[in-house]
Order: sequence, then C-alpha cells, then structure tokens
Amino acid sequence: MSRKRVSRAKQNQSPNRERKPISWRYSLLTLVCGLFLVVGLFGAARQHFSSIEFGIKNSRIRKQITELEAGQRRLILAKEIALAPDEIKKIAKIFGLKETPAINIETLPANFEPQNRPLAEKSNDTKPHQTVKPDIAAVKKELNKPAKEEKVAKKSSKIITKKDTLQKIPVKEQTFTRERLIADKQF
Amino acid sequence: MLVVAFFILWIGAISVRLVHLQVNQSEWLREQALDQRRDELKSKMLRGSILDRTERALAMSVHVKSLYADPAEITDVEKTAQQVAEVLKTKPEQILNDLREAKEKGKRFVWLARKLDEDAAQEINKALEDTKLKKFDLPKFAGLHWKEEQKRNYPYKKLAAQVVGFSNSDDVGQAGIEQSQEELLNGAVIQAWQDRDRLGRVYDQSEIKREPPKDIVLTINSSIQYKVEHALEKGVKAAHAKSGVAIVLDPKTGEVLAMANYPTFDPNNFNEFPTENFKNKAVQNSFAPGSIFKLVTYGTALQEKLIKPDEWFSCGNGVIEVGKREFRDNHCGKAISFTKALAISSNLGAIKVGLKIGENKFSNYIRHFGFGEMSGIELPAEMRGLVRPLEKWKGDSLASMSIGYEIGVTPLQIASAFATIANDGVRVRPRIIKEIRQADGKVISTTESENIRVVSAEAALKLRGMLREVVLKGTGKEAAIDGYSSAGKTGTAWKYDPKIKRVSGSKYVSSFIGFAPVDDPSIVIAVVLDEPQGALRNGGQVSAPIFREIAEQVLPELNVVPDENIRPDNLMAQEIPSETEVAPISTQKEDAPKKAEKTATSEKIKETKKENEPPSEEKKSIKQKPVMLNNENENKLSRERIKQKT
Repeated sequence: MSRKRVSRAKQNQSPNRERKPISWRYSLLTLVCGLFLVVGLFGAARQHFSSIEFGIKNSRIRKQITELEAGQRRLILAKEIALAPDEIKKIAKIFGLKETPAINIETLPANFEPQNRPLAEKSNDTKPHQTVKPDIAAVKKELNKPAKEEKVAKKSSKIITKKDTLQKIPVKEQTFTRERLIADKQF
Repeated sequence: MLVVAFFILWIGAISVRLVHLQVNQSEWLREQALDQRRDELKSKMLRGSILDRTERALAMSVHVKSLYADPAEITDVEKTAQQVAEVLKTKPEQILNDLREAKEKGKRFVWLARKLDEDAAQEINKALEDTKLKKFDLPKFAGLHWKEEQKRNYPYKKLAAQVVGFSNSDDVGQAGIEQSQEELLNGAVIQAWQDRDRLGRVYDQSEIKREPPKDIVLTINSSIQYKVEHALEKGVKAAHAKSGVAIVLDPKTGEVLAMANYPTFDPNNFNEFPTENFKNKAVQNSFAPGSIFKLVTYGTALQEKLIKPDEWFSCGNGVIEVGKREFRDNHCGKAISFTKALAISSNLGAIKVGLKIGENKFSNYIRHFGFGEMSGIELPAEMRGLVRPLEKWKGDSLASMSIGYEIGVTPLQIASAFATIANDGVRVRPRIIKEIRQADGKVISTTESENIRVVSAEAALKLRGMLREVVLKGTGKEAAIDGYSSAGKTGTAWKYDPKIKRVSGSKYVSSFIGFAPVDDPSIVIAVVLDEPQGALRNGGQVSAPIFREIAEQVLPELNVVPDENIRPDNLMAQEIPSETEVAPISTQKEDAPKKAEKTATSEKIKETKKENEPPSEEKKSIKQKPVMLNNENENKLSRERIKQKT
C-alpha cells in the first residue's frame, strides 16, 4: 500500500479553512500611511517651490534695495552738485543777483556781546507773537528785473559809501548772501 | 521565475548605476549642477567718501553701468555692431573689429561702453530691446550684458582739488587725500554667489562679508575754502604771479580750515590740466621765506630775554658785516626800537638780533618751531624744507638765516610757526583729517592735536604786539581788517634761480602771514605768491590785500566778535582799477611835494641796491595804490563813478 506524502504544513491546514477578510483597521492604517506619505511629499514639494518663489522675491527686493540705495546716492550727488558754490553763483547770476565785495559785508558792531544777550526777552505782552510773512510775489517780481537796477547804478554819480550800499541799493544788490539764498530756497 | 529574475536584474542594475553616480561621479555631478544654477558675482564696494567739516561731499562714488559683449553669444556680428553703434552713437567699424577679433580668439568679453549713468543705461536698454528674445537680464539683446562699476565724482569741481586729490579709472588714489588715505577709502572686492532657476531668476544669494571702506571727514570748510580760492585767484591774476598758495589755520586746534592753490584743476577731468597743477604747493614746495622768518628770530630773542620790544639799538651807518659779507639797510636811521625794526622789516635789526641769539640757540629754535621736519599733516609727499645742520653753516649763515635766507620752508610750516605765536607759544601739529567714519556714520577714529611749547606765553604776547605794529605802522598796512585787529608780517624774498645758480634779482616770492583778532587769534592766514610780475611785487602790496579779503569774509563766518570799529575811511568805496591795471595809480589826496620826495627816494634806493643785498620791505613801501580785488562788474561800475566824479 502506497502512502501519500503530505507536508506538515499542509497537514496542519484544514482543507476547508476559509480566508479571513482583511481587517478594516489594517486597511485604514495603510490608507492613512499612504495618505501621509503623499501629503508629505506634496507638502515638501510645495515648500520647496514656495521657498524658491520666496527666494526669487527676496532677490528682487534685495536688488530693489540696491537700486534704491544707488538712486539715493545719485540724488545726494546731484544735491551736492547743486550746492557747489559755482553752481549757486551761476543760478544767482540768472536771477540777476550780484556778488557783494568784501568791503560791503556787514560786520557786527564792536560792542556786540552775543554771550550776554538773552535768547528770548521777557515780555508782559500776552498776545501771541506775530510773524511777518514775506511777500513772495513781490520779491520774485523784484528778482526778475535785472536791467532796471543796473540803470540805477549808472545814474548815481556820487561815490557810494558802505552805509549807502546797505541802505539805498535795492534788494538785489545786496542779496547774494547766504541768508538771502536760504530765504529764496524757502520760497 | 523569469519575471522575478528580470526584476532582480533590473533593480540590481539600477542600484549599481545609483552607486556609480552617487559615489564615483558625485563630485563631478555636483559641480555640473552648481555650474548650471550658480553664478559667481564679483563687485567692488563703493569707494569711501571725502567730506568737509560741514558734511558736504567733496568726493563720492556712485554706481554706474558698463556695457560689454559676449561674442560667443552673438550670431550676426555685423548686424550687432551696426545696431550697437547706432545706439551708442559711435562708428560701427571699431565695434565690428573688436567683436570679430574677440570671436576669432575665443574671447568672451569685449567692452562696448564704460561708466554710463542710469539714464543713459535705460535709454540703451530701450533702444536695444529685442522682444522675441528670452533673456533674463537687460539689455534684451543677444550677447550684450551690463556690468556694475563705480565712478568717482567731485561735485565741487575745482574746490580744494589739491587737498582732495583724484583717483584714476581703476579707482586708485593718485593725489591728495585720495592717495594718502587709499587703504581706508579703497573698497574691497565682494564675492557673491547667486543661485538661479531655469529661467535665470535668482532665488538664493550668499556673499562673503567684507569690511566696508571708510569715509574721511576733513577739517576743511568748503565755504571758507571757496572764499579763499576766490580771493587767491583774483590776487594771483592781479599781481600777474606765476602761482599762489593760501592757507587758513585754526591756531588753537591746528585744523586747516582752507588750503588753496592757484592755478588749480578739476579732478573730474584731471587729464585736461597740466600735471604741475596737481601739486599741493602748501606742503610740496619749499621757498626762501625772507622777512616772514624774522618771526623766528624775534620770537627766539624774546623767549631768551635778549631783547625788549621797546629797546632801542643803534643802526650805525646802515651797514653790518658778518662773515666777510656786508648787509645794508637804508631805512634804519640812526637808532630805532626793535618793534619799529620789525614793523619796517629792517634787515639790520633782525641780523643784530640773530647775532645776539647765536648759532646754537637759533638752530635749536628753528627746529622747535617745526622747520626742517615734516609737519605730519595727512597729505602725501610733504616736504621737510631745507634746514642745514649746524656743522654746515658758513660765516654769514646766522645773519642770512636771521632774515630768512639759506633756509627753505613750506607755506604750511611757516603758517604753523605763526600759529604757534597766535596760540600763546604752543605749537599744535597741523591736521587736515577731522575724523574717520564707517559707512553707517559711526566714528571710528578722530585725530587729536599734539601740542609742543616753543616759547612762553609772555614772549608770544610780546611778539604779537610787535607784529601788530607791522600792520598799524609798518609794511603790512594793507592787511588791516575792518572791524578786527590784525597782526602779521610781510615777506619779499628773492628766488633762487637754478640757471644762474644764485638768487635772481627779478624773481620774488611775496608773502604775508598774519592772524586776527590780535588778543585772541581765531585764524592764521598765510598767503604766498610766486613770482609776481606786476609793478607791485612786495608781500605787503600783493599778498596783504589777499589776507585782508580772506579775513574780512572768514571772521564773520566763524562768528568771531569784532574787536575794533570799522574805520571811517574804509566805509568809502575806493576807486577800483581793473584786474589788468596793476600799475600804481597816484591818489588824488596825495600832494605833489610828498610824491616827488617819494619818487626821489625810490630812485635813490634803486641806485644803492646791491646784488647780494636781500630786499627790504621798507624799500618798496612807497605809498602806492593797493591792488584791489574785485569782480569785473564792480570794476566797470567804479570806472564809471570815477569818470563821473572827474
């Protein structure tokens, strides 16, 4: 009688044993893991691309800052060029101003004592201090009349004294001073 | 089984390839990847600025753009050359030749236009825009690129040109502060790496941090500098001098407020000027000081208490023999005081004082006053001057040096000596750099004054009083300032002529150095004119008026309180000759006999004048109309006034 060899593993298996269905928990876990991986992957990709995007924006802003700084420097240079004495002189000449010789520069009186002079004087006046506003239009009008002043100078026959120069010569003659230029700038 | 084997083989092959790529070829691949996405950007930091004491920029750099071509990226060279030449408004042949040559040699860099400002660059970008071309950088034109560079600008042009100096096209300082402070001003090269995406957009940047260059703040005040330059220019032109130097010093701090040279140059276009103009003669030129050196002679004698200002001395017959050499002086009279001797610039008086001092002491004091050594100012190529060691002095050297010969000094050295007397006998090292700053404005270094006592305050005070007499009654009357007391000394020295190997009787150095106000000096002004050719050549006639003009403008600007009233005669406008009319004009007030007497005196002087006799100030102090320094319009007006008056 021949005896059929059956493997031990098969021996243990019951021939009619039914396969158990996959546990829903197991499926869910797999799904969650899968999802986690996919989301992670997408997240990382998104982060990567957004970092590149931010990098590009950052680089643009950095470039903009450099350009603005360069622009600011160019403006400073332009301001310095405009403030150069030769340029001021050129513009002053266009406005019809004349250079005041050293002899006509107003000097302070000998008894002038700036240290002792109070910065603000006490006053019993309760009214607010009224500032006198310059008539800009009138000054500008005056500045735009270079020819008339020259005629005045030609007509005058007497030797002009320093005091006369300061008092009688119209505004233009003594305007080429720093204060005057500053005042013009403020207009 | 077959399928499984295939898969195993496939995965194995991939694994082997991966190992090969990541182990064996990793370095090469990494480099390739970096090459593709990363650019190395080399740029130079902007050179530091040079500012004046009021924060005005005397020199500053700005970014500019330079256009270059990469011939390898250009397919049609002729067309490119034509288009580029049209935009740049140049000849296409030159560009075509350059591009062709570079392409043949395999070069990838050809300059097309250099250092263009932003507006010009934008215009070129617009003109060369190829809309079909996909290119991440501007201009959108095949093979053309911009390179960032920097350009040095001097906004105030000629102002303080010799002090500020200039830098060449490679941004290397060549003169002045630009040269002496090269290390601080020079911008380091910065390396930056830019990571780019496939479209060429930069998404990451890293750079090596370098220390930025420093800004230099000078002691110069641009407003004062301008006034000084203006006055000097007019003075040099009026005196028909070869050149001129003017220095304004603060005696208390040693700060140089202005240092002017004429003729000058514009550092923006320095190639257009002769190189001689680049020289800062205030420190790079020495001259025989003549009578202004009498300050040292009298200063030493007062310090050693060898003389008293009011002490009288005998002039004998007006001749003194020292070391087999005769020194003549026709103005001394029989006897005068030392104060008077200095006021009229008597050579005999100064020689007598010098002989009283003796060689040893005099030599020591010359050194103490700072002669024969560099002042230490922060300017390049400063001269020591010429002071011979005591062993090399000849028999007449002491006498010659007492009146300012056989010695060479720089204008700054002699100005510093006057500043010593103005500062109660304390010599302060002159300096031109106020502070050194970082780019963010943080001060990292300030220069401090070094003080050395040379003479006592008492001796300095006495000497100031004597120098005051020079302006009041002596040779320096033209240096009298309205509203302020002034003191100083005139000097007219013969120049050494290398051709004849001795001093020339026709070439002079005329100078005036003084300070104001006398009691508490705020400024020291030195004016030195080289070879004045007009009828007026004395320091008191050509340099003193420049001193006055400078002082009258600078003192009120420095808020110095006037210590004197304005002289009534100065309130009258004077008859002003034009700049070309420098010949003496006789004053109407001057009466005829006096005039004739003076003319006779002058003729007498001419006759008695000997070759080896140094010029004395008094000889030429015949009343002559001073050279007035006024602008053309003023001259026209004055001439009209004179005509109307006559």
